[in-house]
Order: sequence, then C-alpha cells, then structure tokens
Amino acid sequence: MLDHCSISHKGGVVLWSHSFTPESAQITSSSASPVNSLIREALIEGRTAEEKYEKDGYAVKWTFVNDLELIFVVAYQRILQLTYVEDLLTAMKALFIKLFEPFLATFVASLHAINKGKSTSLPTRDTSSLWNFAKAFDGWDKVFDKLLRGFEEKAALERKSRFRPVTHTEQIIPSPPSDDFSTLPSESREVPQDEQQISRNVQALKDRLRGRGGRRGGRGTLRTESGSGRDSAPTSENESTKRKTKAKTQRKWGDAVPSESDMASLDFSVDKLNSDANGFSSRDLQSLVDEASLGTRTEDGMYEVKDWDFSQKDDKIDHDIARALRPDTNKQSTGSLGSLGSLFARLTGSKVLSEEDLQPVLEGMKQHLMKKNVAKEIADKVCEGVGESLVGKKVGGFQTTSNAVRLALSSSLTRILTPKTSTDLLLSIRTKLSLPLPSSQQRMPYSIVFVGVNGVGKSTNLSKVCFWLIQNGLRVLIAACDTFRSGAVEQLRVHVRNLSMLGVDGATNSKGRVELYEKGYGKDAAGIAKEAVAHAKDNDFDVVLVDTAGRMQDNEPLMRALAKLVAVNSPDKIIFVGEALVGNEAVDQLTKFDRALRDFSGASSSRSRGIDGMLITKWDTVDDKVGAALSMTYVTGQPIIFVGCGQTYTDLRQLRVSNVVQAILSD
Amino acid sequence: MKDHFQEETVASPIPEVAPFVGSLSAQNLVLLSLAVTVLFFIVLSFTRKKSKSRGNDLLLLGPPDSGKTAIMSNLAYDQTLPSHTSLQTNLAQVVLSPTKTLRVIDVPGHPRIRDQFREHLGDAKAIAFVVDSSTISRNASVVAEHLHHVLHAITSLPPTQSTPALLILAHKMDLLKSGASSNSATSVAISRVCTILERELEKRRASQSGGVGMESLGADGEGSEMGGLDCSGPAGGTFKFSEWEGGEVYFAATWVKVGENKDVEKSSGEDGLDGLKEWLNQVSK
Repeated sequence: MLDHCSISHKGGVVLWSHSFTPESAQITSSSASPVNSLIREALIEGRTAEEKYEKDGYAVKWTFVNDLELIFVVAYQRILQLTYVEDLLTAMKALFIKLFEPFLATFVASLHAINKGKSTSLPTRDTSSLWNFAKAFDGWDKVFDKLLRGFEEKAALERKSRFRPVTHTEQIIPSPPSDDFSTLPSESREVPQDEQQISRNVQALKDRLRGRGGRRGGRGTLRTESGSGRDSAPTSENESTKRKTKAKTQRKWGDAVPSESDMASLDFSVDKLNSDANGFSSRDLQSLVDEASLGTRTEDGMYEVKDWDFSQKDDKIDHDIARALRPDTNKQSTGSLGSLGSLFARLTGSKVLSEEDLQPVLEGMKQHLMKKNVAKEIADKVCEGVGESLVGKKVGGFQTTSNAVRLALSSSLTRILTPKTSTDLLLSIRTKLSLPLPSSQQRMPYSIVFVGVNGVGKSTNLSKVCFWLIQNGLRVLIAACDTFRSGAVEQLRVHVRNLSMLGVDGATNSKGRVELYEKGYGKDAAGIAKEAVAHAKDNDFDVVLVDTAGRMQDNEPLMRALAKLVAVNSPDKIIFVGEALVGNEAVDQLTKFDRALRDFSGASSSRSRGIDGMLITKWDTVDDKVGAALSMTYVTGQPIIFVGCGQTYTDLRQLRVSNVVQAILSD
Repeated sequence: MKDHFQEETVASPIPEVAPFVGSLSAQNLVLLSLAVTVLFFIVLSFTRKKSKSRGNDLLLLGPPDSGKTAIMSNLAYDQTLPSHTSLQTNLAQVVLSPTKTLRVIDVPGHPRIRDQFREHLGDAKAIAFVVDSSTISRNASVVAEHLHHVLHAITSLPPTQSTPALLILAHKMDLLKSGASSNSATSVAISRVCTILERELEKRRASQSGGVGMESLGADGEGSEMGGLDCSGPAGGTFKFSEWEGGEVYFAATWVKVGENKDVEKSSGEDGLDGLKEWLNQVSK
C-alpha cells in the first residue's frame, strides 16, 4: 500500500528508508524522488503547515522531531485513500525515538561539531565502529514491519466492517421484492457494528419474507427459494433448534433490543485482534480460519504462520510498541517530582518549547504580520510553519520564547522571499540573444508579457522597464495589446515619444532604439502580439514588451484570451504586475492568474506555464507595510523581479530581501 | 542674613558635584583608563585566539544534488550514507590525521538557503565548490550563478582576513561516460567542468560590464553590483580561473559510492575522495 518510507536528518542524511515496490525504489534513489521534491518545493519554501504534498502521482506526508532534527516521511500512491498514514507517522516517531534516542543524540551532536574538544581526542579507528549505522538501527526493520502490519490490518478491518452491510443486503436482493425492503438497507447501514446483530437482522428478514412469500405466491415461490438458499428451506425447525442450543449457553436472543453490554460480550472481532499471538483454544482457531476465508486478504494464512514462528520475538516487539505508544507514566511522576527541576532546567538553559508556550506568541506574530498587510491566509500558514519548526526545540537560558519565535520567523521570511531562480533579466536576455542559431534562421527577440488586474500600473512600469533596457543598449519594441481601454495606445505612444527623446551613451536622443507597434482598438490581442514579434524579428529589435489589458481574475473569457496570447507567442517571461497596496486579494489574484495561464494555455500539460516573476508597483505608498511582497512570493514561489517606487522612469528598483524582512518585522 | 541663607541654598549643589569630579581627577583617572585598556586588550586577545583556533573549516558549497552531504558523511563517518536534499547546514568534525582535525561545514545548495555560507566564511580555511560533473552541461548557468556568488563573497572579504583556498570539485566523475583509464577520466572531468564554468562566468561578466545596473531598494550607498570576476589577464580577455584575481583556484575530480562502507572500498584499493584529501593535506599544512 505504501510506496516509500524514510527517516532522515534535516541535514540530508537518510538514517533509514524502505521502498515497498521496485519502481519506487528506483525513483527514490534518483534525484527526482518524492522526498527530494517535498523538501525543495514545500519544506524549504516554508510550506510546512500544509498537510500533505502531492507530486507525480505520489502523496507525501511528513512529520518533524525538532529536538533531534529528524524528518519522518511516508509516500504513497495518491489515488489510495489511506487513513492510517498520520497515525503511522506518529507511532513511528514515538517508537523510533524511544528505541534509538541515545544514538540519535550523539549523531545529531556530531553534525553540529559541539563536542569539539572531545572528538579530537577520539582515535581514528573508533569512528568507524562508532558510526555503524546498519547495526545501530538493527531491530527497526522488524519493528516497523510489525507496526505497519498492525495499522494495515486495522484499516482492512475497518473497511470490512464498512462494507459488510452492503454484502448482506446483496445476498437478500435476489429474493422477491416487497414494500418493507426499501427501508432495510438504510436501517442496516445505521447499525453495522455488530456482526451478530446483522445476521440476526437477516434471519428476521428471511422469516418475514418466507411468511409473506407463502402468503402471496404460494407454493411456487417457496420451492424456488428452497432450491436457491439452503438455509431457508428447513427454516422453522432449524431456527428452533438453534434457539435451543443457544439457550443452553445462556445467551440471550430475546426480541428486546440488545444493550451495550450485550454487544460487547458478543463482539469477538476486537478481542481476537489483540490476542493475536497469545495462543488460541482450538475453537477460537476455528473461528479465526472462518474469518480469514471470509476476509479479503488471501495471504492472511501466511501471515499467521509466520507470526507463529517468530512469536517470541514478536512478543518482544509488541511489548516495545505498546510501551512506546503508551502515554508515559514514568515521565509524569518525574515531572511531578518538582517544579524545582524545571526551574533548574530553565536556569541551565534547556527549556523545551511546547505548543502551549508558542501559541500566544505565534498568535501575536500573526496579528503583527496582518498589520503589515500580509494576507491573512499567508500569515496563518507562515506562523503555523514556524510553530511546527519550533515545537520540541530547546532554547537557551537567556532566550525568551518570543525571541526564539522572532528569530525563526525572520529566517523563514528570508527563505520565502529569497528568489530560487535568477532574477537577472539582463543576463537572460543577453544569453538568449547570443545563442548560436542555424544560419537560415533569424534571431528571435526576447519577449516579455506584462499581466495584471486593472489599474495596477502595467503600462507605466512597462515603460520604466523599457527605459532601463534602453539604457543597457538594447533595442526595444513595445506592443500595444491593450485594445480595450480607451487611451491605452495613446498612453504608450506618449511614453515611446518621451523615451526616444532621452539620450543614451552620449547620443542626444535614442531615436530608433524604441518603437511602438500598434493596431488600434478592438483587435485580437494575441494576433497583434504575434505580428509585433514578427516585426521585431524583421527589424532587428532585441526585446519585445507586450502590454496587455487589465482584467479581473474572475473574468473567465478575458483570462482565456490572455492564456491564448501566452500560448500563441510563448514569451520568454510572463511578469505579473501587482500593487503593494493589495491585501488579502493578492492571494486570489495570483492563484487565479497562475492557474488560468496553466489551465487554458494549450492542450499539452507538459508545456503549460504560469507566472515567471512579479513586479510590485506603488511601493512608495505603503511605507513599511510591505506584506504584499511576502504574500505574492509565498503564493507563486516566484521572485519579485522589480519594484516600482515613484513617478519617473528611473523609479524602478530591485528588491533587497533583508530590507523587506526588516520592514515586516519592525514594530 | 536672609540673603546669606539664600546664597547657601544656591551654593549647596556645588559641593555635591565637586567631590565627584575631584575623585576622578589626576591619579584615579589614569588608573581607570589603564584598567579600561587592559580590559580591552584582554577582550581583544580572547577574540583573536578564538578566531585563530576556529579558522580551520572546510566549506562544502555547490548546487543541490551535487553530493556535498555524501562527501561530508564519507569524511566524517568513513562511510557514504544515502542522503536527500538538505534543509540545514551540517557541521562535522573530521580527523584528517592523528594530529590534524578539520571541521567540515556542509551548506545546503538550494537557492533559497545557500546564502547561509556567508556566516561561516570568516572561519573558513578552505572552500570546496562541489559540482556534479555528469550534469554540469545541462544546468551550467545555475551552477555558474552560484559560483559567482561564492567568488564575489571571497573577493569582498575584508583585507585583514586571509582568503580561503578554493577548490572546484568535479564530483560524480564515475558517472561521466569515458572508457579510458582512471587518470584520464579525472582530467576529462576536470577540463569539462572548467571550460563550461569559464564560459558561463564570462557570459555573466560580459553582461555586467556592459550594462547599467539597477539600484536596489533602500540603497544605502552599497551597490548591488556583483563583482568578483576580475582577471589579471590582458584587458578584454575572457574569464580564466588561472587568471582570477581572488587567488588560486584548484581543481580535483572525485566520486563516492553511496551505501558502501569504507572497508570495502579499501579492499578494492581505491578511494574516490583521494583528490580532495590530497588537496586538504596540502592546504592545511
């Protein structure tokens, strides 16, 4: 059922891993393993608050142990609805730490080079014997197998009990329909717990049926029924004898509704599961076999035999599992030994952060982030992620909880805001232009599309980018693809006129360095963009800047048109223009633009692409409430390429991550 | 009489101040300043000692999936443990020879957290930039960007600090397709990594030297321009590692086998990390 399971250190060393199928073993040994992509795309980006991560048909769930810096990961096929994975993870976590804590502690310490003086004195020979990882985790394979099997069996049992009423009703359906029937399935589904009860229901129903059938159809139906169902033929006698024998064993089969205690005494399934390897009386064994033949899993028999062989060992493992999973009573007693101990612990600087400690601080941080204009959803997730990375961590004696949280938050923000792809636009333009190409082909210009909602400043900032490109000696063509808003083309024309009058490199004006490509209003934007690119190719322009009409993210026809423009021209960069004033709306805008571009741009999903970068405008209007930058980078994971911060052509800046983090954290 | 009284009350603050000044004057002042200077020197000597003893680190840098953690585990635990993308920095103590130890710092290569190496740069004695030689041609520009950051950081170190030695490690050379003997495989891997990186870095240098940079937000006089690619060669020449101004750049080619214990390797008579170890011995002399 599971595909892969691993226990590893946050530093990257895998302590133990197990693949359940050859394919997953192959995948996980390559760099495209689900664990790798989980870390790269979820954990490093601060998305630890999300419950699970899906990639390439795998669903991945994980959990942290912060004081030992361990990550537990389970990967399985996404289509499987495995309910026990989270329980498995917690159980695994508890067990693994219980069993191997001393070794893990020394291992983690060795990865921090804390015991510097000590390790120098260690002879070289010792290290190899000290770090025998295979030996250290010797028994874990068996423990894990046992644990997993336990969970799988439980899940299978649950499923069985869920499906059982259905199978029973199916058995009944062949018999002649009647009015009473329609109510039955729902009724039996409501009380599916007790097998005995179900069988009793069935029996009662059959009785009723027989009576009705006899009344209605007479002899014919009765005969066919007796032919088909063996148990219903000698009914009345059988029933009475059964009742008699049961009466001997003092079992109550009254017409009264069974009470709780009755149900408990009749429930054999739970009991049987627990006393798995403890030995059965022959009668119990018989019932077990019956159960197995009834069940869905054919290998059950195999399992039982195996268990029997290793019963001794399993007992021990069982014991271990039970001990580890039991809420620790020992610890409680030592804890009650005195608050004096905790006081000392605090003085000596080993306070362990608990969830209760963190809760108020995190709540305060969340409020603070929201005051800085971070979207609520993002603030929630970031704080939750920070909390997850701190629970169980030891903090130094002089460090307060809020300080620790602040530190973790700051590093988390830095991580989210740091671009993971190059933001050097100039370099990528130059790289594309200098690519060697076949002699027959002409050089394609570098094209950039600006998208965004209405009135955020697409055209204005496009002209700023254009100015910067001209200053760098590139020839730029502006394509006026906003064919909707009146004045949009004229606005660009004014910009082009201004820009061509500004001097570059000593020349008094930059005429010929920038041109406008326009086809008036009401035309197809995608077509104009295509023509513009062709025009640029013929006239040896280096860069094409495509200005699009602003649109609301909910307007599907317009979003489709935008996706078409992207699909037809496949630009080198799609830049989303957003304003720094935006609050909660940022999340919605970006997700919808991104998704629309991905969903509508062509049939082939492999070529679908979203936003490549962002440009934040009106930065000068928000002072230190720069939360929009965080919201936007968190949603897309793409970098902020430029920041527009004023009225003139030179007011375009690159974002400095440390500044933004500082601004967000400042009071 | 009344007047006199008033004068007294006015004058009373003066006697209170005067003793204080008096106590500080002359000898005491000298003593105090002497004490301060002594304290200052003590603190200074402590910090100096600290930095001296700690300047013994090997930084493992490089793009993700290039094998930094594998090298680290090989050095530290004498066996190559399986690993995945790192989330945080590893620091491990490595015994080079009975008298020599080294702290190996393995910094994650993910673009979002790779800048953490700057924190450790002050104590670094050597930097090994690990490159996956089997995939270098595919993601050359990304690797070059990372290397550019490292080179920039090295050249912008304050002059009081000794610059760490830089090694570019062509790792995973066993994955490189070449049917020749191991010696030539080494040189193939090295020359390949070297030429590709030089080409990419030259591109970066050219694009910067010609362009007008953009100020970064909240510019406080410090330019966002990334330098660190200056060469001592003839003006207008392309970027060459041999002519790089930041110091000498060494090359080595290595490989490790994941999951193998050192004993097995020893019996087969070869060690994939020989190149690295040789260089470390040479540097840490």
